[in-house]
Amino acid sequence: MGLPIPNSKLGMWLFLGTEIMFFTAFIGTYIVFRLSCGPLWPTQEETHINILAGGINTFVLIVSSYSVVVAHEAMHAKNFAKAKKFLWVTLLLSFVFLGIKSVEYYGKYTHGILPGTIPENTTQAMSKASNDIEAAADAYLRSVAPAEAFEPKNDPTLIKAASAVTEETSKASAMAVATAATELKEHVRENVSLEVSLADAAQMRTEGKVPPALTIEEVQARVDVLQEEGAETEKYGGAFGGVLDPHPMTYGNLFASAYFLMTGFHAVHVIVGMILFWLVLKQPKLDENWSDWVENSGLYWHFVDLVWIFLFPLLYII
Amino acid sequence: MAHDEKGHAGPYFMVFIALCVCTALSAAADMIQINNKLVLIVVVMSIAVAKALFVLTYFMHLKFEGNWKLVLLAPTAILAIGLPLALTPDIGVSYYDNLAPQADYTEHSPGVAATESPESDH
Repeated sequence: MGLPIPNSKLGMWLFLGTEIMFFTAFIGTYIVFRLSCGPLWPTQEETHINILAGGINTFVLIVSSYSVVVAHEAMHAKNFAKAKKFLWVTLLLSFVFLGIKSVEYYGKYTHGILPGTIPENTTQAMSKASNDIEAAADAYLRSVAPAEAFEPKNDPTLIKAASAVTEETSKASAMAVATAATELKEHVRENVSLEVSLADAAQMRTEGKVPPALTIEEVQARVDVLQEEGAETEKYGGAFGGVLDPHPMTYGNLFASAYFLMTGFHAVHVIVGMILFWLVLKQPKLDENWSDWVENSGLYWHFVDLVWIFLFPLLYII
Repeated sequence: MAHDEKGHAGPYFMVFIALCVCTALSAAADMIQINNKLVLIVVVMSIAVAKALFVLTYFMHLKFEGNWKLVLLAPTAILAIGLPLALTPDIGVSYYDNLAPQADYTEHSPGVAATESPESDH
């Protein structure tokens, strides 16, 4: 007496039962957070979500689900050559899915959409811009200044490093880069407008006045200048070309964490599915002994598709 | 096998076509830019549920399986739905008016410039 299904299939369904709870925990929590954040949730433009890539990936998974079901049918019909052919199609499509996902991840990386790195208010955005500018200046100076200029390691100053540059061609750029980064950093630290010099601000404070505060618009304008996009001559030697435009994104870190957690775990499941298919495909000859394996791998693969069916509208459309 | 696999090839292809149509509808719902968020949510999530049912029913053969599927899947489904429902009252629908704590931090911290309200970020 027992269930009218093979033990392996029962095992797979029990496993899928735990998987349902695993992914629903993430998806359910994401929905709840989304509700709680209301209209402040980042927009598609802010998060650089690529709906075309997500849509194509949805289609890719649907086709792969169909191909694996055809492979399963062929196994039952003892048409093993056909089964193998469609399993290859499935495996190939899983590579396509991960390839597109990688392109999406790279886009997130280049736009700075990474958990824990996104400024959520103007103060954080200004501070991050200053840190990014300083890091870019440091990287530039390390490429043109001698290594000794950065000694001792616990007290490197950009101006000192720029002064040590001996090469005539990069001397002016090095000093401009160091000055610009240092100036912005100090204005952010003191919270003083870029239109007022720090000396004047100090003077105002001694007179009991409050110097005008730095604004995000000023910092954005300054970063635009430093990036030198479209400039005829490069005053800063292209040092700041890769610095991102500073702007706050409320709940951006929550979005990024949820996005990478859910799509990351989904991608891990895709890789596990690829291993399951590869283990069948590497057999020199398929026979009916592999029928249950193909069916169970197929069930698993459909579940992977099922998860994506919900991730696509939740992350890409809503 | 507990069920006859033969004769399902037709539905499989039809299900595949239905899934493709549903995906196209989801993309269309995004492209026509439905301004009412609630309508958009209802439309795309209904399409997602329809797609999920297609996959579960035909591709995963639940339509052709015995009643064991209910015994096995009902508890997990209930627990899966229970988690978001349990979190919703306190986190999803908070009774307090504090939509962006990080923005409040800017406004109330001494020595830090409060340059804009949270709403102006969007």
